[in-house]
Amino acid sequence: MRFRRVTIACALAVLAVYGLLIVSLFYFLDLSAVWQALSSKRVLFSVQLSLVAATAATAIALALAIPAAYALSRHDFRGREVVDAILEFPVIVSPAALGAIILIFFSNPLGAWIQDHTIQFVFAFAGIVLAQFIAVLGIAVRFLKSAFDQVPPRYEMVARTLGASPLRAFLTISLPLARRGLLASGVLTWAKALGEFGATIMVAGTMAMRTETLPIAIYMRLANADIKGTVALIIVLLAIGLSALYVGKLLFRERHA
Amino acid sequence: MTSPKRLLAPLAIALATCLGSLAFVAAGCPDTTGSAGGGAAVSNRLLMYAGAASKPATEEATKMFEQETGTRVETVFGGSGAVLSQMELAREGDLYFPGSSDYMEKAKKKGDVIAETEAIVTYLVPAICVQKGNPKNIRTLKDLTRPGLKVAIANPETVCVGLYAVEIIEKNLSPSDKTAFRANLLNYTESCEKTATAISLKQVDAVIGWSVFADWDPENIEAIPLPADQIPRIGYIPIAVASFSSDTEQAKRFIDFVTGSLGQAVFAKYGYFATPEQAFTYVGETKPVGGEYVLPPDWVTK
Repeated sequence: MRFRRVTIACALAVLAVYGLLIVSLFYFLDLSAVWQALSSKRVLFSVQLSLVAATAATAIALALAIPAAYALSRHDFRGREVVDAILEFPVIVSPAALGAIILIFFSNPLGAWIQDHTIQFVFAFAGIVLAQFIAVLGIAVRFLKSAFDQVPPRYEMVARTLGASPLRAFLTISLPLARRGLLASGVLTWAKALGEFGATIMVAGTMAMRTETLPIAIYMRLANADIKGTVALIIVLLAIGLSALYVGKLLFRERHA
Repeated sequence: MTSPKRLLAPLAIALATCLGSLAFVAAGCPDTTGSAGGGAAVSNRLLMYAGAASKPATEEATKMFEQETGTRVETVFGGSGAVLSQMELAREGDLYFPGSSDYMEKAKKKGDVIAETEAIVTYLVPAICVQKGNPKNIRTLKDLTRPGLKVAIANPETVCVGLYAVEIIEKNLSPSDKTAFRANLLNYTESCEKTATAISLKQVDAVIGWSVFADWDPENIEAIPLPADQIPRIGYIPIAVASFSSDTEQAKRFIDFVTGSLGQAVFAKYGYFATPEQAFTYVGETKPVGGEYVLPPDWVTK
C-alpha cells in the first residue's frame, strides 16, 4: 500500500512542478494585455500560423516516420543500427544549433540550388514547416517504433499465412493494434512542433504576419522587455495547445470506442 | 515482472548520481556572498547584462578589467531587451550594457538603471552590408529596390538597428521605391548579430545594418557606406549602473574603465568608433547622435 501511495505522490508532484510554474504566471497577469492579445490581428495570425505549420509538419513527419518505425521494429537491414542511433540527433544538437545547420545547408551549393529551383525556405512559411519537421522527425520515429514493438509480430505472421499481403497485414493488423501508441506519438509530435522555437526563429525569421509563430511572438515580447505581454501570449499558447490536445484525444477515443 | 529487489540497485545508483551531481555543482559555484555582503568591501564580482552585439569586444574588455582590478565581470549576453527582462525578473545585477540607446531609454523609464551613471561607450554608423565581393553589385540604397533582390533588416520593433534601417528607408526613398524595397524585404531578423549572420550565411543579398558588421566577419561581409545625406543619425552603445547593484562604486569603476583609454582601445580594435568624431569622419558629416525615432504606423502590426 505504501508503494502505491508513493507512486501517486510522485504523479501529483509532477503536476505540482508544472502547475506551480503556470500559477506563478498569474503574478504578472494583466487581463487587458490578454484581451488585447486575443483581439489583435497579429496574434490571431500567429495562432493560425502555429496551428497550420505544426499540423503540416506533424503530418509529413508521421507519413515518413510510421513506415520507418515499422521497418526499425520489424526488419533487420543493413544500416539499421545507424538509423536507430541518428534519431536523437536533433535533440542532442539543440534547436538553435539545428536551425544553424539548416541555414548552413541552404547556403551550400546544393541547398542554394534547391531554393532557386523549388521554393523559398529561408525566411518563409516553408521554412517554419521544414524546421519543425526536422526537429520532430527523430522523436516521432523513436516513439512510433516503441508503439510497434508492443505489437507481437505473431499476429502479422498469422495474417500472412492466411493469405494477406505484407501491406494488408500492416494496415489491418499492425496499425490498429498499435493505435494507442500511435496516437500518443502523434500527440507528442504535434505538441513538440507547436512549441518549436529555436530552429524556427533561425530559419524563418520574425516578421509579423508572415513567419511569426506564437513561440516566436512570445520571445519577441520578452525581447521588447514587455513582461505582461509575454505572459499574456504564454497563456494564449497554453490554452490553445492544451485544449487542442484534449480535443484531439477526445475525438480519437470516441472513434475507437 | 521485475522483482522490487532488482529495481533497488538501479534506483539507488540513479539517486546517488543525482545527489552527487548536485553536491558537485554546489561546490563549484562561485562565492555568491561577494557582492551581496555589501558594506565598504570591494566586491570581487560584478554582474553585467549586455547586448550580444558587442560580445567579442566586451569579453576582452572585461578580461582586462579583471587583470587590472581583480574584479571579475560576469556577463549575461543576449538580446538587449531579453536581458533587460532577465535583469528585471531576477532583481539583481550591477551593469546594463545594451546594444543601443533605445533600450537604455526603456531601462531608464522603468527605473532599472541609475540614469546619472549613463555613459557612451562607442558609436555606430548604419550602412548597407553585402556578401564579400558584392556579387549583386549593390552600390546605393536605390539598388536595394531592384526586383528579385533579397533584403533583410532587423525587426524594427525590437532591435535598434532595424529601427534605424526603417528611418533611412522612410527618409530617402520615394513611395514607389519604398514599395519596391518592401517587396524585396524577405523578413526581419531577431537581433543585431542575426542581421550580420544573414549575410555570412548568404540568407539574403543585403541588409541594412551597422558598418561594424564588416569588422565582425571580414571574410564574408562587406560594408557599403551610405552617402552622408542619407544618414539621419548615428547610433551609440551606452552603459549604465543597474539600480539593483549592491556595489555601485565598483560598477562605476567598470564604466570608467570601458570609456577610458584602455577600454576604448579594445573597442577600436574590433572596428567600433570610439569617439563621435571618428564616426563623423566615416560618414563625412556631423550627425545627431541617438535620439528617438517613432516607427511609422504602416511598419507596425497590431
